[in-house]
Parts: sequence; structure tokens; C-alpha cells
Amino acid sequence: MTTTVTGPSGLTHRHSDPDRTAHRPRGSWAPYLFISPFYLLYVLFMLIPVGVSLWLSLTEWVGLGTPQWVGLRNYRLLATDISFHRALGNTAVFVLVAVCVIVPLALLIAQALNAKGLRARDLWRTAYFVPIVVSPILVALVFGLIFDRQFGLANAVLKALFGTGGVDWLGDPTLARVSIALVMLWRWTGYLTVFFLAGLQNVPRELYEAAAIDGAGRLRTFTTVTLPALKPVTAFVVVTSFICAAQIFEEPYLLTGGGPAESTLSVTMFIYRAAFQRQQFGYAAAAAVVLFVLVFGLSRLCNRLLGIGRATS
Amino acid sequence: MKTSEPPAPPTRRALLRGALGLGTAAALSACGQGDTTPRTSGDVTLSLWTHDPGYEAFFVKGVPAADRATDFRYHLKVTRSGPPDIVTKLLAQAVAGRGTPDMVGFEIGSFPRMLRGDIAERLLHDFTPDIEAVPGLKDDLLPARTAPFSRDGRVYAFDSDTPMVVYFHREDLFDAYGLLRGDQTWEEFAEAGARVYRDHNASMCVVSTVGSDPGQVVQSFQMLLYQRGGAFFDADGTLRLDSPEAEEVLRFLCEGLRSGFVIDVADYYGAAMQTALKSGRVIGLPMAIWYKNYGLLSNVPEQKGKWRVRALPPFAGGGGVTAALGGTGFGVIKDKANTRAATEFLFKTWLTHDGQVRRFTETGYLPTRRSVYEDPRLGAYKDEFCGGQRLFGLYRSLLPDVPAFHQSPDQSILYDVLAGNLLRAYRGSLTPRQALKQTAADFRDQAGR
Repeated sequence: MTTTVTGPSGLTHRHSDPDRTAHRPRGSWAPYLFISPFYLLYVLFMLIPVGVSLWLSLTEWVGLGTPQWVGLRNYRLLATDISFHRALGNTAVFVLVAVCVIVPLALLIAQALNAKGLRARDLWRTAYFVPIVVSPILVALVFGLIFDRQFGLANAVLKALFGTGGVDWLGDPTLARVSIALVMLWRWTGYLTVFFLAGLQNVPRELYEAAAIDGAGRLRTFTTVTLPALKPVTAFVVVTSFICAAQIFEEPYLLTGGGPAESTLSVTMFIYRAAFQRQQFGYAAAAAVVLFVLVFGLSRLCNRLLGIGRATS
Repeated sequence: MKTSEPPAPPTRRALLRGALGLGTAAALSACGQGDTTPRTSGDVTLSLWTHDPGYEAFFVKGVPAADRATDFRYHLKVTRSGPPDIVTKLLAQAVAGRGTPDMVGFEIGSFPRMLRGDIAERLLHDFTPDIEAVPGLKDDLLPARTAPFSRDGRVYAFDSDTPMVVYFHREDLFDAYGLLRGDQTWEEFAEAGARVYRDHNASMCVVSTVGSDPGQVVQSFQMLLYQRGGAFFDADGTLRLDSPEAEEVLRFLCEGLRSGFVIDVADYYGAAMQTALKSGRVIGLPMAIWYKNYGLLSNVPEQKGKWRVRALPPFAGGGGVTAALGGTGFGVIKDKANTRAATEFLFKTWLTHDGQVRRFTETGYLPTRRSVYEDPRLGAYKDEFCGGQRLFGLYRSLLPDVPAFHQSPDQSILYDVLAGNLLRAYRGSLTPRQALKQTAADFRDQAGR
């Protein structure tokens, strides 16, 4: 039964019969049913695979038949595996490039694209964003041609400008890392620029006007107004760049295959190689667990340092 | 009269339970094993996985002959995929317990994954008794081509080719540069090659330095190593790389790179090689016979008629005049309803005399049965790309020299570590001896894991 009550404002409110409400079972399952698809999928596609990976990392399995329990053997082997150490080192280099080079560069480009009076602004924005939507296969093919030692465009340009060429971009271990870093730079800078641009457009104009009245120059305005205002965006970009770079796979896989001599082998490539080229699924799972722990731990540390999730005063 | 009350309509909860039960039953039955009762005759649809449309065309065309020779009426359902993906998907389906094909084409570089643990034994049909059941077949099949797909004396796949390594060269430029075409050793060849490089900026041998493909880097060295009498693994899968032959071959290539006799090209099949061939920077190279179709014809069709094929020059220190590189083994999945039908299909298409002749005329792959080399149809074959050269006489003469190639489950580990050390040796940062020693040490370190 429902009663209608007229309130002091003259509006009428409908109230449920308190007796009926009292009879409704307390633990109604309806809300849980509505949210259950998410949890079901979460359990199916997140918790179970993570659990299975953990278990698999304690076994030796060739991909068929019954896995053999080996305890922590895979982790002990990883601790002394030079290839894995190389992969960790290479991944650390890629992470540093992403966080220390690409993020600041994206910020500077965003600042430039946000400047007043810039002509063909949309064209610039599109040009910077395009690399991220190009297929990685195509990227690898094109950059493979550019970096070819004998017949590549990069060396042809070097020869035309400086009279020297023959740089072994993909064959020399150090230069191969540089080449991967250049491709990362080309691919990811524009994408991160978009985030910074969105952040810049939300900085209140009054702050810039106040800075101008106080006589602040461009650099001072950038450091005292723009950077603090962009802190939440920067924090997000840094953490996501870190996580993406820590899991880098496409660029080295397609361009150098992790070579030469494992100089561009990343941890995810190491995992892929162990599982799908060497049929060492337990070993691959152990490497994946190590990567997960490292990425999770370091991204939590980043969150804490950058104050992500903390209420601003 | 008492009438019974009509049954109450099912509650929503009951309906939900029923639906859940039906769904679970359907899912479980779908996940179950397929029927494994062997088919012995009648209509059969074989599912075939391959990476090469040429094989698909061959098998489709072979259906009528197989129908006539067996009690089955064959239909083919073909799935194409990349060579490594075929093995990955096959294992995934095998773990799932359903959806495996009946016949699979294993590219030779992907097959070692099947040799890990007991995968091959669990998953693949052992052809050994079938081979013994056919009179004369065992002796007729080239052991050099069953070895890569065998383990513990059991044959798990039949190779598509006897991919002999020969020397491709531009006859017009060899004439123009005054290069001898008689019997010469590699060492004499290299001497002439250094002169040609100095005078004409052209190279007579190629090594691949594509970092993204260890297999390709390794194959440049592998061809000459096997020709010289060396090997990667012996029949037991033990590493045999650290040998005097390996050191000699690697030194030969490194010295060739310094003199210009050898050129390093990023990719045998891509734009870099195409440029090198078109510009006359590469006028000859040792390669497997299939390179004519996949490397030369596709990259420089306009050079048709200018290329010729000859045996590899021998090394002064010994060895043969050919090696083998590549191949694809066709296997059958065991314990399926179609296992017998697929095995018979393979025997009545892939392994018949006419089937092997047809395989060469349609796909360019050399027979894997010794007797087929005597077929007059093949002897009469003229290769238009090679200026109408009759090649089968050459192939027949090379046949006794084709070395066996044994594979190991750890082969991909060897390729990874060897490719890196070969590149270091080519660049001069390691001596050939150091590169091979380092490879053996790296391999030992990783292969035991």
C-alpha cells in the first residue's frame, strides 16, 4: 500500500507501505545479479589466468601433457639466466626512454600546439597523432627499410649530408637499442601529446593572466603555472608510459626480433620466446610473474611519489 | 469426479536453473572429445593446416587419385596460417582436446617445437609401420629428408622437398667479368670474388644480417657448414657445432666479408636483396633450389634467362658439393577418426611416384624418393628462368651428397645464440673461434633450463 503525503513545499511525496518494506527479504540477490557479469568476467579472465600463471610458474610444462611440479626451480634459474638479465636491462632502458625522453617531449610539443596564433593547428595535431594508429607491422617494414645498413634511407641521408654512411642501425647492439628508442619516440610522442593538450586546455586562463600581471616570463609561467596545473595529467601519463614501456613487445619483436645478440630483447619477448618458441611454459610463466611483480610494485611506487589518488588540498 | 489440478507454471528460478543446466550440458558436450572411432571407408572430410597455398593446390588436385586408390571419398577443408602459428594453434587445440586438424604441414624450422618432451609422440601418428608396409618404400625414401622429422627412429612427417643447396649465378656477368666456370674450390672462388669486388663492386656470395630473423642469419652459415661436412646436431640431438669445420667455414665467410667476395644483406627476400640484385651488386650466391622461385623470380623477374645453376664449389679441405636447407614435413594427428584416412591420403598423393613428379612440376619441390629422380619427365624438364637449363642431371648428380640434417628440441636456442655470435664475428668483434666457443657456452647455459 502506498500513501501520498503533501510536504511543506506543497509537493506531494509517495511513501511505500512500511509493512511491505519490512517483509522484503534483507539479502535480496537482484543487485548482485546485475553486477555479476563484471565479476564473472573478472574471475574468468583475470583471477583464474593469474592464478594458473602462478601455479604454472612452479611447474615444468612443454604445452601438452601434465605439468611437473618443480617448486621454485624456475625462479632460481631466472636469477642466474643471463638472457633474462639482459631482457630486464633492455626493458629498463626502454622505460627510461619512455619516461625521461618521450613524456617531456610530448609535454613540450603539447605546449607548442597550444600556443596562441598557431596556424594549421589541427593539421599538426593530426600529424603527431597519426603514428599511433599506423599498424605496427607497417611501422616495422618502413623503419626496416629506413635503417637498412646497405640500402637504407637513414644512411643515404647521412651520406648526402656528411659524406659518411654505412651505419649499422639494426646490426650494432647499441645502435639497435637507439633505433628502437627512435621508433618508440616516433610512435608514442604524439599519443601522449593528446593527453597533455587536453590538460593544457583545462588550465584556467586567469592563472596565466595573474602570472602576466606579476611579470612572469614564459619559462617562469611554464614552471609556476603550467607544470603544477598539469600535475594530475603528468602523473597519469608517467605511470601509463612506464607500464606500457615495461611491457614493450611490438617494436623490438618486429624490427630486430630481440637481436642482435639479445641487445633489444625485452622481458615480454623473453616470455614469448620461452613459451612459444622453446615450449618452456613454466619458465615463461615464472618470468611473467617476475615482470608482474616488478611493474605492479614500481607503478605503486610511482603512484605514491606522484600523489595519484590523494585528495588535493 | 475429482479432477487433478493443472500443474503450476514453472517459477522464474526454475526456468533459470533449467536454462543453466542445459547450457552447461551443451558446453560440456561441446568441450568433449570428438568421435575417435576410426573411419575405414566412405566420405571423409580431412582438415588440413598449411602455410603455403602451393601445398593446398597440390593436395586438392590429388583428391581424385586418392579416391581411386583408397576406400575413401576425400574432401579437404584447408586452413592457412603462418608456420610458427600452426604449431602454437595445434598445441592449443590439443590441450583443449578438440579442433585439431587431421593433417598438418610443419615448416622445418617450426618442427623442433614438436620434439620437446613427448609432444610428437603424444600428438603425431608414427609413420614407421606404414612405411615398412609398403614394399621398397623404406629404402627409396631419402634418409636425409626423413631425419629432420624423426625422433628415436620414428618418422612423424614426410618432407615436401629435397632442398639441395646450389650455386646461383648471373651467367652474363660471369662472362663479362671473366670468371671461370669450371671446377674451382671455394678458396679459388673467393680469390676471384675479391678481384670482382675490387674491379666491379659486385659480390659472389651473400650472408644475411637481419637481426629480427635469427634463422635467416644462421642459414647463411649453415649451408656451407653442412656442405663442408659439419653439423649443428648429431642424431641424438647433441650439439656438434664447436668443430674445426665450423671454424673453417666461419673464417671463410668473415674473410670474404673483408675482401668483398661476400656481401652482407639484411634480408634474403626483401627490399635490400632486391636492390642488390637489380643493381648488380650480387651476381651469385649459394642457396637452396627453392630460392629461384621465392627469391630470384619474385625479386628480379626481368633477369629471366640470365641466371644459371651449378653445383657448389667444394672446399679444399673436404666435404661435399651440396647441402640442404628448408623443407616442410606433413604429419597426421594420431588417435582421431580420420587418422587412417589422412595417412592413406598422404601415401596416395604425397608419396606416389606420380605425386612426387607432379609436386616438382607444380610447386618446384624436388622428390624425396630416390627412384623418382630417374623419371624421364623430370629429366626432360627445362628451366626457363635459368635460360632453358636442364637441371635434373645436376640434381641427380648432387643427390648422394645431400647431408642428413638432425633437429633438436633446443634448436631455437641455438639459432638465437648462434645468430648473435655470427654477427659479432662478421663485424670483427669476435674471432670465428671465439664466436663458436661463445655459442657453445651460451647454448649449454640456456638449453638445460
